[in-house]
Amino acid sequence: MSSEYTILRVRVTAKDADTLRALLRDSRPDVGGQIRQNEDGSFTFDAYVSPEQGEALTREGVSAEVIEDATATGRARQAEVGEGDRFAPEDAVPQGLALKVQGS
Amino acid sequence: MPYLNITEVESGVTSLAAAFPATDLIELPEPTFEGRTCHALRIGTHRLEPKPAVVLIGGAHAREWGSCEILVNLAADLLHAHAGGTGLAYGGTSFTSAQVRAIMEKLDVVVFPLVNPDGRHYSQTVDPMWRRNRNPAQSGGNPAAVGVDLNRNYDHLFDYRTAFHPSAPVQVSDNPANPDQVYQGPEPFSEPEPRNVRWLLDHFVRTRWFVDVHSYTQKMLYVWGDDHNQSVDPAKNFRNPLFDGKRGLKDGLLYAEFIEKGDADDSAVLAERFCEALKGVRGKKYSPEPGFDLYPTCGTSDDYTYARHIVSGQEEEKILAFTVEWGMDFHPPWAEMEKIVLDVDAGLVQFCLTALA
Repeated sequence: MSSEYTILRVRVTAKDADTLRALLRDSRPDVGGQIRQNEDGSFTFDAYVSPEQGEALTREGVSAEVIEDATATGRARQAEVGEGDRFAPEDAVPQGLALKVQGS
Repeated sequence: MPYLNITEVESGVTSLAAAFPATDLIELPEPTFEGRTCHALRIGTHRLEPKPAVVLIGGAHAREWGSCEILVNLAADLLHAHAGGTGLAYGGTSFTSAQVRAIMEKLDVVVFPLVNPDGRHYSQTVDPMWRRNRNPAQSGGNPAAVGVDLNRNYDHLFDYRTAFHPSAPVQVSDNPANPDQVYQGPEPFSEPEPRNVRWLLDHFVRTRWFVDVHSYTQKMLYVWGDDHNQSVDPAKNFRNPLFDGKRGLKDGLLYAEFIEKGDADDSAVLAERFCEALKGVRGKKYSPEPGFDLYPTCGTSDDYTYARHIVSGQEEEKILAFTVEWGMDFHPPWAEMEKIVLDVDAGLVQFCLTALA
């Protein structure tokens, strides 16, 4: 995967367990979460794939819906990464996020 | 406070070590491919001899940014609360000062928040979806083949083509250019980052619990990851070649990995307590379950760590091992990640208390 690569978050639904097994065996997509079984017996999971891989996932009994451009989301999130070193000052120390509760 | 860059993860750890002299700053022996040196922090009161240890690691997968923040903030919470004689409140889950003191006095809590700084730096500055380290040794000059999936590089069922059923959807590859970024490396422990984790486990000889922090799926996973668990037939185990080619089928009856019932029960209880405390923060529901329920794996840190005592034959070296899968996204907005930090840190404090019980 190069830096030019685009990764899509794709929601994949397979109509039944056999179709799911065949899909996972043949395509081995980068599964981003747990595979969930739906009330109608179908299975759904999110996968992280290139656009070409996403197209290849679609077959009889399988649908693939693009949820987001994960690379674009991540690039936007890079703006939320610190710059410099917030702990460089001598008295700067991580404080933790929990409340420190007196008298407990 | 936005996400920590790699300089800040390191300086966060070193500044805590400087501010709290009872801690130990531990320099890991192996630099990364890009020459970075990593540090861990032992927190707890001074000790005359090693105490039972909980080893917590994070940041192995580059794109799972929040793992480092979870561990740096956990260390800071415990250290500040202990020094100030306070308790800790994470939303609706709280801990008393006596509970904080018990953790600090009776355990060595070893925090190694950034296993893979090269990968995190690349993910935070170039390709946000990068998962592996940045070792180009097997790439042959192909940028798509740089790096190894560090959580497939541990020495456990590494020869997956022999160990697993051909139809098992095991999440690993021996192809460096594998687009799913699960290349296992040329051999077990080929990479310095997992070797540093192994060194940490060797160094803290009384390690009894291990947690590897990852994302995502809102789960607290425990061993095993290669197949379903069972506590009936010890012959069905990862070292038995009679069962090669039979592992890893979700609904197969050919195989299930043996785990002693006491270990299975203890692991489940620790994972359940983690999830209960986490849910108390703001209601998020995480599931405690064996790793195999997510998908079949091999070469992972948790299975390797638990298996160490089986391979060595030294029962006293047993380490119960876990993987947290926080959140539902690799890069949540920082405002949401702060809440996830509170969730998971509440779970980890409770995990330590349950371990002590």
